[in-house]
Amino acid sequence: MIAVLKRLASIRLTLLWMALLGIGAALSYDNPVDTPVWVLVVPLALLGVNLLAAIITNTRINRRGGLLIFHVALLGIVVLAAFGRLTHMEAHIELVDGMGFMPERLINVRQGPLHSGRLDQVHFIQGPYTVEYRPGMVRGLTHSHVLIPDGAGGWERKVVGDDRPLILEGYRFYTTFNKGFAAVLTWMPDGGQPETGTIHMPSYPLFEFRQANRWTPAGASEEIKFWLQLETGIDPEGAWVLDARKSRGTLVVRTGGRRVELQPGGTVRLEHGVLRYDGLSSWMGYKLYYDPTLQWLFITSMLGVLGLGIHFWKKFANHPWPQPDDGGKRSERDASRGGKAIIEEGRVI
Amino acid sequence: MEDKMVAEMPWLYTALTAYALATFVAIMGVARTRGGAAGAAVSRSYEPLVLGLITAGVVLFVISLAERWIRIGHGPFVNLFELLVSQLFSLGLVYAVAYWRLPVIRPSAIVVMPMMWVLGLWVLTLEPVASVYPPTYHNKWLWAHVGFGKFFLAFCLIGSGIAGIILLRKLPRLVPLFRTLPPDEVLDHVAWRFMLLALIFDSLMLIAGAVWAQDAWGRYWAWDALETSSFLNWLMLGAAIHARLTYRIPVHVGAIAIIAIFVFAFFTYFGTPFYSEAAHKGVI
Repeated sequence: MIAVLKRLASIRLTLLWMALLGIGAALSYDNPVDTPVWVLVVPLALLGVNLLAAIITNTRINRRGGLLIFHVALLGIVVLAAFGRLTHMEAHIELVDGMGFMPERLINVRQGPLHSGRLDQVHFIQGPYTVEYRPGMVRGLTHSHVLIPDGAGGWERKVVGDDRPLILEGYRFYTTFNKGFAAVLTWMPDGGQPETGTIHMPSYPLFEFRQANRWTPAGASEEIKFWLQLETGIDPEGAWVLDARKSRGTLVVRTGGRRVELQPGGTVRLEHGVLRYDGLSSWMGYKLYYDPTLQWLFITSMLGVLGLGIHFWKKFANHPWPQPDDGGKRSERDASRGGKAIIEEGRVI
Repeated sequence: MEDKMVAEMPWLYTALTAYALATFVAIMGVARTRGGAAGAAVSRSYEPLVLGLITAGVVLFVISLAERWIRIGHGPFVNLFELLVSQLFSLGLVYAVAYWRLPVIRPSAIVVMPMMWVLGLWVLTLEPVASVYPPTYHNKWLWAHVGFGKFFLAFCLIGSGIAGIILLRKLPRLVPLFRTLPPDEVLDHVAWRFMLLALIFDSLMLIAGAVWAQDAWGRYWAWDALETSSFLNWLMLGAAIHARLTYRIPVHVGAIAIIAIFVFAFFTYFGTPFYSEAAHKGVI
């Protein structure tokens, strides 16, 4: 068994698997989406086996505390990263101002086969947001207001945005460039109960001139086309702030050859009911990310660097830096100690 | 196009002049050792002057960076011009400390300072245009990431300077220039010490970068061009250290490996971010 482990721990294999990993990484260069994941997974797995065997059998590693910590940490990072991929979850969601988070509204969901988070325990309510723009329409800071449970039956206000995600139950919600306006509508069908909902318009200001969408009421034969005429204070040449609370929108409704402009509160009689434009709202697109290994990955990698640092510190302390004038003498002295020359010191590190 | 004589430029020119003078004095000082008998006393009187000029250059780069910071409202983290100036500062600072504390590396100035001048000449070709600070750069981990990266590159640079001497000594005409220095084996040992330090800071740079990326873009690693390039650099360094520990690699081959690692790091820093469309470019 030990003989097999020693073969697996060969440093020749280490270098070979490193080269293989390098090739895999190079193949992924700038194009990870189209590259098969196996070009990275296989060499990483081989390196993991090599590393484990080396930790068990190589006394140059397992009898040196710092070096041992470093190599165990490397192995730990590989294992944690693999576990992270198996349990991770990524998705997107668009939330309208005033709307609570609902897992069933997630889109573009990708998750590992072992994902088992507590998404059903995630509760928050989207509020308004602001996005700062600099001259030239360069996006600046995003401040998205949300309400999260305060643990005492109430709600606590929180501002997230850009590099400050909302973290609930391990799920991290990141604001994205994808955000825009929504028209709040109430559909009052003939003889039925009124229903209120929203029509999301495309991302703003990315699609400033395409603020349109369409909808077909239940039972109706013709779809309704909506176009939102916005007044947001947009200034392509100067600095401005996107804020739905300070914006106004006129909703243009087209159906059956008719064109009606609605202000908030305005209604229009359609084929099977009355449509009321309640007002302008906004929606924020979030990226959701979940990986239970994140903190452990950080701790493990920092421990690894610490181990490496301890190892080098000891080595450097035992072998002071050479001085310019004693180089020759030192080599002679080292040579006279039976071949324990300084070059050997270098290799021992 | 902006006026070239914006606030930071006079300081930049003066700083580059200080580095140029340091380069000149270092070369002249090392050249003076030529022709002496082996073991003869060698004057090191030029070394404090070299150190003083590099230090002056570092201080002037700090003033240049501060002027620019005040002018554009953010630190030197975004465009190539400010990254180069920032690197000229940090490489000079780390090298000055090493030069001061480790006399054995001082002749490496004749290799290191011309390498810095590659950056110096490059920055002179660029316009000092103001850059736009991306919203995801308002993060403390950016500072850690950049700071660790600066140490990594500086240690690679010093290792390369020493490796350069090992290779220059292969030329018989240049051997007398470095007669005060220890044998190649000892220099090799010193150069690899710097590469070991580089490995630590490279690792820290990758860790801090991953934490920042998680905050900024919602993923800690995505194999984008800059991440892949940085990882390959780390892998190269790790493989080279393993190979050196295991095999009796000739000293000059080790020296070439060190320089190759530095060159790769150089292109990772100053090439990849500016052709790739990755998030690192700041266009987010």
